[in-house]
Amino acid sequence: MQNNSSFENQLNRRAFLSQSGVGIGAAALASLMGDGASAAEISAAGVSASQFGGLPGLPHHLPKAKRVIFLCMAGGPSHLETFDYKPKLAEMDGKPMPESFTTGQPIAQLQGQQLKCLGPLTKFKQYGENGQTISDYLPWHGKMADDLCIIKSMVTEQINHDPAHTFMNTGSAVSGRPSMGSWVNYGLGSESENLPGFVVMSSVGGRNPQPIASRQWSAGFLPSRFQGVEFNSSGDPVHYVRNPQGVSRAQQQHLIETVRGLDQHRNQTVHNPEIDTRIAAYEMAFKMQMSVPELMDVSDEPQHVLDMYGATPGDGSYASNCLLARRLAERGVRFIHLYHRGWDHHGGLEKYMDICCGLTDKPTWALLTDLKQRGMLEDTLIIWGGEFGRTPMFQGKGGAGRDHHIKGFSMWMAGGGIKGGITHGNTDELGYSSVENVVHVRDLHATMLHQLGIRHDRFRVKFQGLDLGLTGVEETHVIKDIIA
Amino acid sequence: MNTRNQIKPLFSLPFWAFVLLANLPVHAQEKPINFNRDIRPILSDKCFYCHGPDPEHREADLRLDTQEAAHDYAIVPGNPNEGDLFARITSADVDERMPPVDSGKELSATEITLFKRWIEQGAEYDPFWAYVPPKRHPAPKVENKDWSKQWIDQFIYDRLKQEGLTPSPEADRVTLMRRVYFDITGLPPSAEEVKQFVKNKDPQAYSKLVDRLLASDQYGERMATYWLDLVRFADTVGYHGDQDQNITPYRDWVIDAFNDNMRFDQFTAEQLAGDLLPNSGIDQKIATGYNRLLQTSHEGGVQPKEYLAIYAADRVRNFSNVWMGATIGCAQCHDHKFDPYTAKDFYSIVSFFADVDEAQHFKKGSNSLPTARPPELVVHTRREREAIAGLEAEIEALKADEASAEANKKMLDEKQAKLNSLKKAARKTMVTVAIEPRVIRVLPRGNWLDDTGEIVEPAIPEFMGTVKQGDDRATRLDLAKWLTDTKNGTGGLTARVFANRFWYLFFGVGISKTMDDLGGQGEVPVHPELLDNLAVEFYESGWDMKHMVKLIVMSKAYRQSSIASDELQQRDPYNRLYARQSRFRLPAEMIRDNALSISGLLNLEYGGSSVKPYQPAGYYQHMNFPTRKYSHHTDTRQWRRGVYVHWQRQFLHPMMKAFDAPSREECTAQRTRSNTPLAALVSLNDPTFVEAARSFAERILSEGGMNDHERLQFGFLNAVSRTADATELKLLNQLLKQERTIFSEHQKEAEKLIAIGQAKASQEVEATELAAWTAVARALLNLNETNTRN
Repeated sequence: MQNNSSFENQLNRRAFLSQSGVGIGAAALASLMGDGASAAEISAAGVSASQFGGLPGLPHHLPKAKRVIFLCMAGGPSHLETFDYKPKLAEMDGKPMPESFTTGQPIAQLQGQQLKCLGPLTKFKQYGENGQTISDYLPWHGKMADDLCIIKSMVTEQINHDPAHTFMNTGSAVSGRPSMGSWVNYGLGSESENLPGFVVMSSVGGRNPQPIASRQWSAGFLPSRFQGVEFNSSGDPVHYVRNPQGVSRAQQQHLIETVRGLDQHRNQTVHNPEIDTRIAAYEMAFKMQMSVPELMDVSDEPQHVLDMYGATPGDGSYASNCLLARRLAERGVRFIHLYHRGWDHHGGLEKYMDICCGLTDKPTWALLTDLKQRGMLEDTLIIWGGEFGRTPMFQGKGGAGRDHHIKGFSMWMAGGGIKGGITHGNTDELGYSSVENVVHVRDLHATMLHQLGIRHDRFRVKFQGLDLGLTGVEETHVIKDIIA
Repeated sequence: MNTRNQIKPLFSLPFWAFVLLANLPVHAQEKPINFNRDIRPILSDKCFYCHGPDPEHREADLRLDTQEAAHDYAIVPGNPNEGDLFARITSADVDERMPPVDSGKELSATEITLFKRWIEQGAEYDPFWAYVPPKRHPAPKVENKDWSKQWIDQFIYDRLKQEGLTPSPEADRVTLMRRVYFDITGLPPSAEEVKQFVKNKDPQAYSKLVDRLLASDQYGERMATYWLDLVRFADTVGYHGDQDQNITPYRDWVIDAFNDNMRFDQFTAEQLAGDLLPNSGIDQKIATGYNRLLQTSHEGGVQPKEYLAIYAADRVRNFSNVWMGATIGCAQCHDHKFDPYTAKDFYSIVSFFADVDEAQHFKKGSNSLPTARPPELVVHTRREREAIAGLEAEIEALKADEASAEANKKMLDEKQAKLNSLKKAARKTMVTVAIEPRVIRVLPRGNWLDDTGEIVEPAIPEFMGTVKQGDDRATRLDLAKWLTDTKNGTGGLTARVFANRFWYLFFGVGISKTMDDLGGQGEVPVHPELLDNLAVEFYESGWDMKHMVKLIVMSKAYRQSSIASDELQQRDPYNRLYARQSRFRLPAEMIRDNALSISGLLNLEYGGSSVKPYQPAGYYQHMNFPTRKYSHHTDTRQWRRGVYVHWQRQFLHPMMKAFDAPSREECTAQRTRSNTPLAALVSLNDPTFVEAARSFAERILSEGGMNDHERLQFGFLNAVSRTADATELKLLNQLLKQERTIFSEHQKEAEKLIAIGQAKASQEVEATELAAWTAVARALLNLNETNTRN
């Protein structure tokens, strides 16, 4: 795909059914291969991707979710102080970590150190109808326990932050692969006409905020227009979205119209088929110059909504980003990715959990609750989690803490056709390895795609001779048990 | 293609694999079957995944990638109805039919027919085209006396004739000049140069122009841009903290090498193994920076063993992509699915690089800017050393001239100051130092924790032979020589990879469009014989890169108009037959350089440390270790060429990124060309472009004549190299008038607009007038035509 001009892509899409697309892969064909709903059903439901600039033939089946809000707790929150209560670990507190758990396993900062157990640093309670176990750090999570599907058996493959994020976002640790937000937009298109389909926002607060590379929202080998666009709380909300100083909106419009007029005039001579794409790009740019500031301006939100989130407009907090996420969702943005940087608790875990949870617990509840009261939770899939979890072993960089851990950690999903009020999978008695209903990152991806109406194994693009998808070629399962 | 209208109903016979054929306007059905062109791509894409070179995933013990194995029972030559293969691909039973339904692959009716005819014709396998050394093919005889006799053109014409097509007429002089300027130097011609060229009646004028451009320093800068994408050159380490690293002298070495027209075999050897060359000097050491360009991580808690494995894989991916047009990186965990590269081959190539000292940064690489990645040297580039020597000689001479000591004093001081600053400008750069090679094992399934794999020595892929005789351990130098050895090495393949890339650079699309993969899943060349001849020409010329450029741009094919008739657009939308030139948006660096050049701000200083243009505040907010504050350059470095812009892998300058410049984390052999709203926002609102527009406006006002009409023409001419017609003038004039009215009512706003950028606005023009013309200039800089190479 990278070899194609945007015109080529456009042409491919248009021509796909008549001449078969070059390089698009099997994706579009799946619905014709007897899987899921018929094209007619999909069209009748008004979800056919082609109307939004997505791939013809998608979705493969009727989707439960129309959009995703991914709440990335960057740095890697401890599962042992959030959702995965291990009484045995409490008993073992201070004792050597049994070698049977750790021998031959990858390890990060604790390399070469004596490994001892660190019991849970907080208490847990049961919440909701099914008595979901949630720690005292997350009281607001307790209030929405019946909406959450807590997955306690996550595993990933990368133990350092940067590649672990890359793996969580693209399914591969090799740079240059498309991130999930790009995949989803590439497949389904975007319902928003004047905002990008994939928006990224970040906030900071906690211990030693780890860097996040723009690779995490890269379109990789997919066309550039599917890359994530950063929205910033300070300065220009999107780079270059403001007119040059001294230029009014009317003047900018006149300028763009002049350019369009000149381009179209010239095109009578040169017949450049790409000109429409270019003009459309300028028009979209101009619309964004209006719609982005309008989106970011939350002055139309009533005070009780601001209070619910705990958001102070323009403060760049996770709370404000959650509120903006809801506004983006309302405007049809397909994939909204929030990062909160501060969860890398090698030391001072109690102190920093207080900070991180204090900044994120309530706003997360507010986002879910707000979507729910607007009837949007049912078709919005929320995913919460870090790039990995943390060791059951003690690390002491400035007070008790935990090192990076990839063999078992917790995430949760909610809305978008996922069962609420359940816990899926489990780790061993010390919270080291996922042992029950193990969920690999690619299973998470497959499940997310499934809820969006996409078959992960049919959603492929040819790159460097390979049929690449978000989920790769290793065995992958949609987590059927958690689908409502 | 006439088959387009014959789509079968779904589920009866698959329709969708016209993929391969729809792409080529050739009616393969009507020609004798050519295994490499017609059959192998289908086998590769639809069958090899389970029946290919990788034994671990081989199903039914059947492999279809070799003739011997395929003819064992699956294929009975001459009789499609006897072997299993044809029965299985045509089976009515869904469970029987190949490829299996759950593979997502299907064979089209056309493909099945091709298989049938191929089996009927004997099911002969030919060696894979890319591994067969290229040979020169006689050019077809072309009868058209108006067409050229050059062999490139004869191949092109012959193919067009077969397709019932004719070449496009030659581009007009203006277009041709712009094209060749951008293609060779990455810059637009000045209006004056265009004027001279258009009226030059010398039949050699074009050829002389090409020679002049090839001799300019800007040629090396333009070609380096492409090379730096391939080798993933960047100013930062890439992972985690993405700290700055010391490497810019390598970039300058690449630019020099192109400008000096260094032989490509030498260019290859110096980068891979300059430290091992006899008489290895400072420049050869700078060149070995190539081996250090991979991404490294300076995160606390990285396990060196894991990262050395990651680095090793990174090297093999890049090395094989760059020089072999191969995806050997795929063999990290298992034998390659489509090409005959084994996992052992992968680790054997790793082993060539096992002596590269890359572990020091685990201890010494800190979170400082720049970080330390020893071994590093403090160097002057060759040109800097020459300048120093020159100055020293001049100073000596001045000092010796005692009679005029008084008169010479000022000059002497100046030269001394210049010398001092040059000496101080020595830069650190990472180099390759060979140490005791690490022990390299095959890592089972790529797992770096698994030490059970066999130990391997440096070796080229087994199916390609051996790199040397004798017991000595093969070195990076052996590998480099093998790459360009056309007799005992893989020089023919290397030449083909780069011939294809030269073609791509000057036609916008390769003869095989997969620039980084000439393997089984890559595209079979549309013009295999032409590609062969170009490859042979490349090495027979003495690996002469400028010769290749000149050869291509002198062809009539290159000089065609890029305007496609509707019919041609329909028949060959991707211009694979070259019945016209290609039209495409300029690459990111050229977008920048073009605007700066038109504005008059462009600074053509050569080489040196990377430069920092204006960048949105807070763009580095997501970075840490250390946190980053970006300070743009406040002197004339602000207006240097794009090739020198600071390349931050994790947060590439947003202008560069918006115009599809790659992060350079991996090899990029071909950039995307997109038209996105983000790019439009850049050229509308980025201060670099607004400042360029205002400086351009000042040029228009000072040089463009006395009235609006003349000035609009001047502006238009300088933006797109041609004069505006009446409609164009009218549209621009409307804009000018309207902006004048608005700014004259809003003086303050005019002042704000012209204050953008560090270049001081001209005091000689009224703010409102300058602001109005700035609007016109912004429009001109945003025209499609301004930013298109056609």
